[in-house]
Amino acid sequence: MARMKFICDTERCIECNSCATACKNEHEVPWGVNRRRVVTINDGIIGQEKSVSVACMHCSDAPCMAVCPVDCFYRTDEGVVLHNKDACIGCGYCSYACPFGAPQFPSNGTFGLRGKMDKCTFCAGGPEENGSQEEFEKYGRNRLSEGKLPACAEMCSTKALLGGDGDVVADIFRTRVITRGKGSEVWGWGTAYGNKPQQDSVPQELAK
Amino acid sequence: MLLTRKNGDGSRQATRAGRFAAGLSESLARALPTMDRRAFLKRSGVGVGVGIAASQWQLVKKAQAADKPAEASGLKREVRRTVCSHCSVGCAVDAVVENGVWVRQEPVFDSPINLGGHCAKGAALREHGHGEHRLKYPMKLVNGKYQRISWDVALEEISQRLLAVRKDSGPDSVFFVGSSKHNNEQAQLLRKFVSFFGTNNCDHQARICHSTTVAGVANTWGYGAMTNSYNDMSFSKAVMYIGSNAAEAHPVSMVHMMHAKENGCKMIVVDPRFTRTAAKADQYVRIRSGSDIPYLYGMLYHIFKNGWEDKEYIHDRVYGMEAVREEVMKWTPEKVEEACGVPEAEVFKAAQTMALNKPSSVVWCMGQTQHSIGNAIVRASCILQLALGNVGKSGGGTNIFRGHDNVQGATDVGPNPDSLPGYYGLATGAWKHWCTVWGVDYEWVKGRFASQAMMEKSGTTVSRWVDAVLEKNELIDQDNNVRAMVFWGHAPNSQTRGLDMKKALDKLDTLVVIDPYPSATAAMAAMTVDGQELNPNRAVYLLPAATQFETSGSVTASNRSIQWREKVIEPLFESRTDHMIMYQLAEKLGFAKELVAKIKLVPGKGGMLEPEPESMLREINRGTWTIGYTGQTPERLKAHMRNMHKFDVKTLRCKEGKDEETGYDLTGDYFGLPWPCFGTAELKHPGSPNLYDTSRHVMDGGGNFRANFGVERDGVNLLAEDGSHSVGADITTGYPEFDHVLLKKLGWWDDLTEAEKKAAEGKNWKTDLSGGIQRVCLKVHGVHPYGNAKARAVVWNFPDPVPLHREPIFGTRPDLVAKYPTHDDKKAFWRLPTLYKTLQQKNVEAGLAEKFPIILSSGRLVEYEGGGEETRSNPWLAELQQENFVEINPQAAAARGIRNGEYAIVSTPTGARIKVRALVTPRVAPDTAWIPFHFSGWWQGKDMLEFYPEGAAPVVRGEAVNTATTYGYDAVTMMQETKTTICNIEKFTA
Amino acid sequence: QQDAPATAPAAAPQVQSVDILKQDQAERTRAQPGNAAPVWRTVNAGTENYSSLPYREAGVLIQQKVQYPGQDRPVSAGEAWRRFRNGPLLHVGGWLFLAAIAACAALYFIAGPLKIKGPLTGRLIERFTPSERLIHWSVAITFVILMLSGLTMAFGKFVLMPLIGHGLFGWLTYALKTVHNFVGPLFAVSLVCMIVKFARDNLPVMADVKWLLSLGGAIGGKHPHAGRFNGGEKIWFWGGVLAMGVLVTASGFVLDKIVPGLDYTRHLMQLSNVLHLVAASLVMAASLGHIYLGTLGMQGAYRAMRDGYVDDQWAKEHHDLWYDEVVRGDVPRVRSQESAPATAPRTV
Ligand SMILES: Nc1nc2c(c(=O)[nH]1)N[C@H]1C(S)=C(S)[C@@H](COP(=O)(O)OP(=O)(O)OC[C@H]3O[C@@H](n4cnc5c(=O)[nH]c(N)nc54)[C@H](O)[C@@H]3O)O[C@H]1N2
Ligand SMILES: Nc1nc2c(c(=O)[nH]1)N[C@H]1C(S)=C(S)[C@@H](COP(=O)(O)OP(=O)(O)OC[C@H]3O[C@@H](n4cnc5c(=O)[nH]c(N)nc54)[C@H](O)[C@@H]3O)O[C@H]1N2
Ligand code: HEM
Ligand code: HEM
Ligand code: SF4
Ligand code: SF4
Ligand code: SF4
Ligand code: SF4
Ligand code: SF4
Ligand SMILES: [Mo]
Repeated sequence: MARMKFICDTERCIECNSCATACKNEHEVPWGVNRRRVVTINDGIIGQEKSVSVACMHCSDAPCMAVCPVDCFYRTDEGVVLHNKDACIGCGYCSYACPFGAPQFPSNGTFGLRGKMDKCTFCAGGPEENGSQEEFEKYGRNRLSEGKLPACAEMCSTKALLGGDGDVVADIFRTRVITRGKGSEVWGWGTAYGNKPQQDSVPQELAK
Repeated sequence: MLLTRKNGDGSRQATRAGRFAAGLSESLARALPTMDRRAFLKRSGVGVGVGIAASQWQLVKKAQAADKPAEASGLKREVRRTVCSHCSVGCAVDAVVENGVWVRQEPVFDSPINLGGHCAKGAALREHGHGEHRLKYPMKLVNGKYQRISWDVALEEISQRLLAVRKDSGPDSVFFVGSSKHNNEQAQLLRKFVSFFGTNNCDHQARICHSTTVAGVANTWGYGAMTNSYNDMSFSKAVMYIGSNAAEAHPVSMVHMMHAKENGCKMIVVDPRFTRTAAKADQYVRIRSGSDIPYLYGMLYHIFKNGWEDKEYIHDRVYGMEAVREEVMKWTPEKVEEACGVPEAEVFKAAQTMALNKPSSVVWCMGQTQHSIGNAIVRASCILQLALGNVGKSGGGTNIFRGHDNVQGATDVGPNPDSLPGYYGLATGAWKHWCTVWGVDYEWVKGRFASQAMMEKSGTTVSRWVDAVLEKNELIDQDNNVRAMVFWGHAPNSQTRGLDMKKALDKLDTLVVIDPYPSATAAMAAMTVDGQELNPNRAVYLLPAATQFETSGSVTASNRSIQWREKVIEPLFESRTDHMIMYQLAEKLGFAKELVAKIKLVPGKGGMLEPEPESMLREINRGTWTIGYTGQTPERLKAHMRNMHKFDVKTLRCKEGKDEETGYDLTGDYFGLPWPCFGTAELKHPGSPNLYDTSRHVMDGGGNFRANFGVERDGVNLLAEDGSHSVGADITTGYPEFDHVLLKKLGWWDDLTEAEKKAAEGKNWKTDLSGGIQRVCLKVHGVHPYGNAKARAVVWNFPDPVPLHREPIFGTRPDLVAKYPTHDDKKAFWRLPTLYKTLQQKNVEAGLAEKFPIILSSGRLVEYEGGGEETRSNPWLAELQQENFVEINPQAAAARGIRNGEYAIVSTPTGARIKVRALVTPRVAPDTAWIPFHFSGWWQGKDMLEFYPEGAAPVVRGEAVNTATTYGYDAVTMMQETKTTICNIEKFTA
Repeated sequence: QQDAPATAPAAAPQVQSVDILKQDQAERTRAQPGNAAPVWRTVNAGTENYSSLPYREAGVLIQQKVQYPGQDRPVSAGEAWRRFRNGPLLHVGGWLFLAAIAACAALYFIAGPLKIKGPLTGRLIERFTPSERLIHWSVAITFVILMLSGLTMAFGKFVLMPLIGHGLFGWLTYALKTVHNFVGPLFAVSLVCMIVKFARDNLPVMADVKWLLSLGGAIGGKHPHAGRFNGGEKIWFWGGVLAMGVLVTASGFVLDKIVPGLDYTRHLMQLSNVLHLVAASLVMAASLGHIYLGTLGMQGAYRAMRDGYVDDQWAKEHHDLWYDEVVRGDVPRVRSQESAPATAPRTV
C-alpha cells in the first residue's frame, strides 16, 4: 500500500495560493477555516525568500492523534490521518499539538466553543461511506476513493506541491534536485515522518 | 481503537444511507476526463530534462473509463471544458455540471498550456456558478438608491436616452467602453455595434494595459503581440523579466519557466520591487520605476562594447541599429547608474548572461508599458532582442505577457478607437472591407457617423474619457463633449485620477453599466462626497451581464492560441449574455438587422434570440486576414479542445492525431492555432507558435519580419537582405507584401483558381476575401503574404524614433528632469489636449518632490484581478487578501513612525488621501511604495457600502489606489502612467 | 553584517571559525550556493513569517522548539507538549489521584473514621454561617463537576471509552467539556468569595506548626491544639484552595480564551494546559483528602458543613482554642442573624 505524503518544493512554490483555493473550492471549506495555507519565509529579503504551502502532513506518529481526548483520529492504510467529527469535542488539543498548525476550527474558542475540528483530509473524506453526501458535508470530497489525488496538488500552478505515494513524490523531487543541483530540503518531512531523504529543516551541517 | 481504517472494512459499509449519492459520485469520478494518480505524478515530474519529460508525456494516458454518465438516475451530469476568464495564460478547466448546477471543477492535465495547474483565481472559478454577490436584475438609480426595474423598461429607457444624446450632440457624445473579458465574438460584435451607432469612441482595457506594447512592437516588426509562447520559454537558456511579476500576474506561466530553470536556464528579474518572481531569479536587479531605458541601454552598452551583438542578424534583418548604437554609447555606466540606480557590475552581469546564454528571452508586462514613455521603453526591449538576434528564435523572442483572458483577442478584433477588427485601421478601404464582410452598405454606415472625417478619425481613449466629459468644449477635437458612457465590462477604479472621475461621472447625462459585477461603477456614481448633491438630470442603469461561463465562444491567450469555451451553465439570475444585450439594444436603436446581417440567430436565455457564437466566429474568420484569424474555424478549435493531450507541451505541436468525433486530422497543428493562422481553414495552416521564425517553412508556422513600412527609407533598404528568408521560400531575399500586382509580376497569378482570380483582382493579401493570394504565397511558393522585411530599430513615425529616456511627469528627481525632460504638450491628441512639459515643469517648480518624496507604484496581487470587483466577490479569494495595503520600506516607515499593520494615509499631489494598511517590508526600497490596484469601495477612508446596489457589494472592499493616481499619458497611445507617480505616507491618526 | 567566508584570506585558520550558524541566507548563498540551511533554521525557530491570512500564527510553519523538564532535547512545541502531557503529567496526575483514593480508603478501612471521643453535650455552636455554607457548597459543587469533567477529558479515553464505546463517550465528553468550560468561571467566582470569607480564620498561628508537627495528632496520640481551623485545614486553604485554586483558575481562564487582550498562541495554550493539569492534579488529589475528612473520615464534620452547627464536644476535641474563644465569648456562639439558635438543635 502506498504511503501518502506531501512535498512542497520551495524552489518552485510561488505563493500563488492555488492550492489553498483549490481546497476551499473542492470541499466548500468555510471562511476562516484554512486547511491549507501558504507561508513566505524571509518575505522581501533579496536572495532569502522562500514560499511553502502547508497543510496537515499526515504524520507518522501524529501528535494530534495522541492528545485527542476522545480519540477521534484514525489512520487509513495509506497513512492518511483522518478524524471523526461526530466524536470531536472541539477541545483544540490537536491544534496545540500539531507542529504545522493544521487543525482548524470554525469558531474562535471562547468558552471552548470551537465547533468541530476541520483539517486537511488528503482529500480522503472521513469515516462515512466513501463518496456519500454525509461524508461530503462533513469532510468534503473523497478524491482518493475516486482514484484521484489531492485537489491542491493537482491544481498547483508550478507543480511545487506534490501529493501522493511518498516514494513516488520523493522520486520526482529527487530527480528535480539532481537536475537543478540545489533545493534538496524536503520541507517538513523530518518533523512529520521522522524519516528523511534529507532531513527537512535540520541544517545540513548539523545533520551530518 | 479506531487507529487504522481498512478500505471497505465493515464499519464503513455499515454507515447510513448515502448509497445513491456514493454511486453517483463514483460514476461521476469515472466520467471525468482526468488523470489517474500515477499519471498525475508523472506529469508533475515534467521538466526534468527534455528526454525524460518528452517520454513521460507519451506515457500519460487518460483514465479511460466508461464514459457513461448515469442517466438512469434521472440526473443530468456533464463535463464542460472551458477556459479561465482571469488572465491571458489561458488555463483550461473542466466544469462538472449536474442538472444545470456547476458542482465541481477538475484540472485539465491534458492542457499543454497549464498541465492542470491554476493560480488562486483559476482554482476558484467555480464560484462563478454561485455568483452570490452579483447584480441579479436590471437596476436604475432613483433618488440616490438603486431600484429594480425590468429588462424591457431598462432597454427602452437606455435606448431612448442614447438616441436623444445622439440626436442632440451627435453620435460621438456617447462613449462605449468595451471589454477584454468579452470573447472574440462579442468583442467583434461590439466594434460593429459601435460603428453602426456611428462613432469611434470606444475602447477597452488594452489601452491601459499593453497599448504601448502593441504600438511599439507592431511598429518595430509587424505584429503587436507576444512573439513566442509561455511553453516556448522552456527552450530558453536565459530569461530576463523586466517589468513583469509573472508569479503573481501569470502564475501558471511559471511552470514553464521552472522547467527551463531546472535545465539550467538563467533567470534575471528587473523590477523596483523584490517580487515573488524575483524570489525565483538567479539575479535580481532593483531599478527605479520608469528608468528601464537607461537600464536597457546600459546592457546594450556592454553588449556593443564586447561585440556580443549578432552582427549577421542585424545586417540581414534589422534597420537602424546604427542610430540606436549611437544613443546607447552615450549611456556610460555612470549615467546609467545615476538614472536607474544600478551599478555597472550588475548591468554587465545581466548583459553577459543574456548575451552568452542564447537563445535568451525577454519578458515584459506593465512595468514597461504603463509610463508616459511606455512606447519607447518597449521598443528598447525589442532593440535588445534584435541586437542579440533573439527574435524569431525558439527560446528567444519578446515574451510579452498580456493581461486579461481575452485582451489579445479584443485587441485583435474588438472595440479599438483607432481601428476596425484586425488592425485594418479606419481609412476608407478598411471600412469598405469590413462593410463587405459584415454584409452592410458602406454608404449606410457612413451615414451613421457625424461625417466621413469623424468616421476616419480615431476616437478618444478609455484612459481619457474623463477629460472627454470635463474638458472645455473648444479644446476637444469633436463637436460636443461626451455625455453618455456605456461601461460594458470595464471597472472604473482601473483608470487614474479618481477624483476627476467622480466629477465626470456626476456630470454625465447617462451612465450605463453592463457587467456581472457593475457595483464599483455603481457605487462610485451613487456616492455623495461631503454631502454633495447628485446631478438630478443624470440617469444611471445597471444591466446584469452573464459571465463567460454562461456562454460559449473563443478566447485568445497571450501566446495567440485560440481556445473555445463551452457554455458551462445558463445565465444566472436575470443576466443575459453580452451578445444578446447587444442585439436587443440594436433592435431598440434601429440597426439590429444590419448588426446580424450575416450572423445566425439562435434562441438563448428564455427563448429570446441571440447571435450564435459559431456564426460570429465565422464572420471573424471571413474578415481578419491581416493577422491570420481566418483559419481558426469553430470546428478546428473545438477539435483542439477535445484533443489537448495530443499536443506537445514544449512545442505545442501535434505530432500525430485525429479528432475522433469529426475525423479532423490534427497532425502538424499548433495548439489553438496561434495566429497568424493564414488562409482559409482548408489551407490547413497550422498556426504560428513563434513569430518571425525563419527556421521553419511558412506552412510550418515559420515567418519573417513584416513588410509594413515600405521597401526603403532615405535610400536604405527596408527589406530583408539576401539569404534571409523563411525555410523553403521561393524568394530568397526580402520582398514586399503581396497584392494582385506583385502576383502578376512574379508570374504567380495563374496559380490562383478562376474563382480566386475574380475575388483577388484589385485586392491585396489582406482584402482578398477568397484567401487565394494567401494560399498561393504560402502553399505554392513558401513565402509570406505580408512580405519579408527588416525590423525597425528606428521607428521614424514615433515622437522618439530612437527610444529616449524621459523622466515621468510626477517624479522625485528634479535633477534628472533637467537632463531628461518629457515631451512637449500636444493638442488634439486622440481628440484631446494633452499635457507634458508644462505640467512637469510646474511640478518641479512647485517642489512637489519634497512634499511627496516617495515614488508610488501599483500593480497586482495573485488573488485579485483588475478592478477586482469580481474576484473580491469570491469569498474563496477574498479571504486571502482582506484589506488593501501599501508596501513601505522599514526605513521609510520608521522615519514616519509607522508600524507594520497599522493604517497609513497615502497622499498624492491630486489632494487625494487614501487610507490603507502599512505593510512594512523590504520588498520595496526606501524611495518607493507600492499599492495593489484591485480595491474599491472605500473613498478616502470611508466605506461606500451604503451606495452599493443591494446584495451586490463584494465581500472585501478597500481604498482604490487610482483615487490618488496622477496625470500622465504615453505620447503615442495615451496609456495612463500608473507605475510611476509620487506620494507621501503618514501615520493614520483617527 | 558578517564577513562572508570568501573574503577571508584563503589559508587563514579563521575561515573555519566563521560561525555558520549566524550566516543569513544571502551570505550562505554566496559562500555555498544551493544550501538553504539558514532559511530552514528560521523555520525551525518557529518564526512568524509572512502569510496573507490575517489569522493568528498563520505565518508559523513549524512551532518553535521547546524542552520540558525531563525531556532529552528540544522538539517542536506541540510535540514536546504532547510528550509532557501524555507522559509525566497524565501519569503522575493519574497515579496521584489513584493514590489519594487509596490513601483515603486505607485510612477508612485501617484507621477508621475519627469518632467524637467524649459524649455529645447537645449544646451547639454555629460553625459555619449560612453564607459561609452557601459559598462552600458553591465551591464544592462546581469543583466536583469540574473534577469529574476534567478527569473525563484527561483520562476518559483510557478508562471510560473502552467501557461505554466511542460514540457515547464522544457525546458525554463533549457535554462534560462544555459544562466544564462554563462552570469553570462560576467556580472561580465562588472561590474568590471563599477566599475572602475564610482567609481571616486561616491566618497561621504557632499552634498550627505544632499541629502539623504532630501530624494532627497522629504522632503523640493526643489532639494538638487548634483554632477555628487547624493546621491541616490551613494547608488546604492556602495551598489547595488559594494557590492551586488560583493557578487552576487562571490557567483555566486562558484555556477558555476569556482573558481579554491576550494573544492566544498555541504555546500559551500549551503552557496553560500544563499549569492547569499540574494544579488540577494536585488540588484534585488533595481535595479527595479534604472530602474524605469532611464526609466519611470525621464524625460531625459533614454536619457542620451541611447545617452549620457542631456540638461543643466536637469543637472541644478538634478545635479547642476556638472552643475556648466561644466559651470565653470572644466569638459568639451564633454569628448569623437570621438563624438564631431558636430552632431546636439537632443531635449528631
Ligand atoms: N492576479 C492577477 N493576475 C493578472 C491580473 C490581475 O489583475 N491579477 N491582470 C492581468 C493583466 S490585465 C495584466 S496587464 C497583467 C499584468 O501583469 P504584470 O505587469 O506582471 O503585473 P504588475 O503587478 O502590474 O506589474 C509588474 C511589475 O512591474 C513592476 N514595475 C513598476 N514600475 C516599473 C518600472 O518602471 N520598470 C520595471 N521594470 N518594472 C516596474 C512592479 O513592481 C511590478 O512588480 O497581469 C494579468 N494577470
Ligand atoms: N494603478 C493601476 N491601475 C491600473 C493598472 C495598474 O497596474 N495600476 N493596471 C491596468 C491594467 S493593465 C488593466 S488591464 C486594467 C484592468 O482593469 P479593468 O479591466 O477595469 O478591471 P476588471 O475588474 O478586470 O474589469 C473587468 C470587468 O468586466 C466584468 N466582466 C467579467 N466578465 C464579463 C463578461 O463576460 N461580460 C461583461 N460585460 N463584463 C464582464 C468584470 O465584472 C469587471 O467589472 O487596469 C489598469 N489600471
Ligand atoms: C479546580 C477545578 C478544576 C479542575 C480540577 C480542572 C481540571 C481540568 C482537567 C483535568 C482538564 C483536562 C486537561 C487535559 O486533559 O489536559 C481541564 C481542562 C480545562 N479546564 Fe479545567 N479544571 C478546573 C477548573 C477550571 C476552571 C476554573 C476553568 C475556567 C475558568 C477551567 C477551564 C478548563 C478548560 C478551558 C479546559 C480545556 C478543556 C477544553 O476546552 O476542552 N477549568 N480542567
Ligand atoms: C463534596 C465536597 C466537599 C465536602 C463534603 C466538604 C466538606 C467540608 C467540611 C465538612 C468542612 C468543615 C470542616 C470543618 O468544620 O473544619 C469543610 C471546610 C472547608 N472546605 Fe470543604 N468540602 C468539600 C469540597 C471543598 C472544596 C472543593 C473546597 C475548595 C476548593 C473546599 C474548601 C473548604 C474550606 C476552605 C473549608 C474551611 C476550612 C478552611 O478554611 O481551612 N471544600 N469542607
Ligand atoms: S500535521 Fe498535524 S494534524 Fe496532521 S497528522 Fe501531523 S500532527 Fe496531526
Ligand atoms: S478538537 Fe476534536 S479532534 Fe481535536 S483533539 Fe479535541 S476532540 Fe480531538
Ligand atoms: S489534500 Fe485535499 S483536503 Fe488536504 S489541503 Fe489538499 S485539497 Fe485540502
Ligand atoms: S499552488 Fe503550488 S506554487 Fe502555488 S502556493 Fe500552492 S504550492 Fe505554491
Ligand atoms: S488567472 Fe491566469 S494563470 Fe491563473 S488560472 Fe486563470 S488563466 Fe491560469
Ligand atoms: Mo492589463
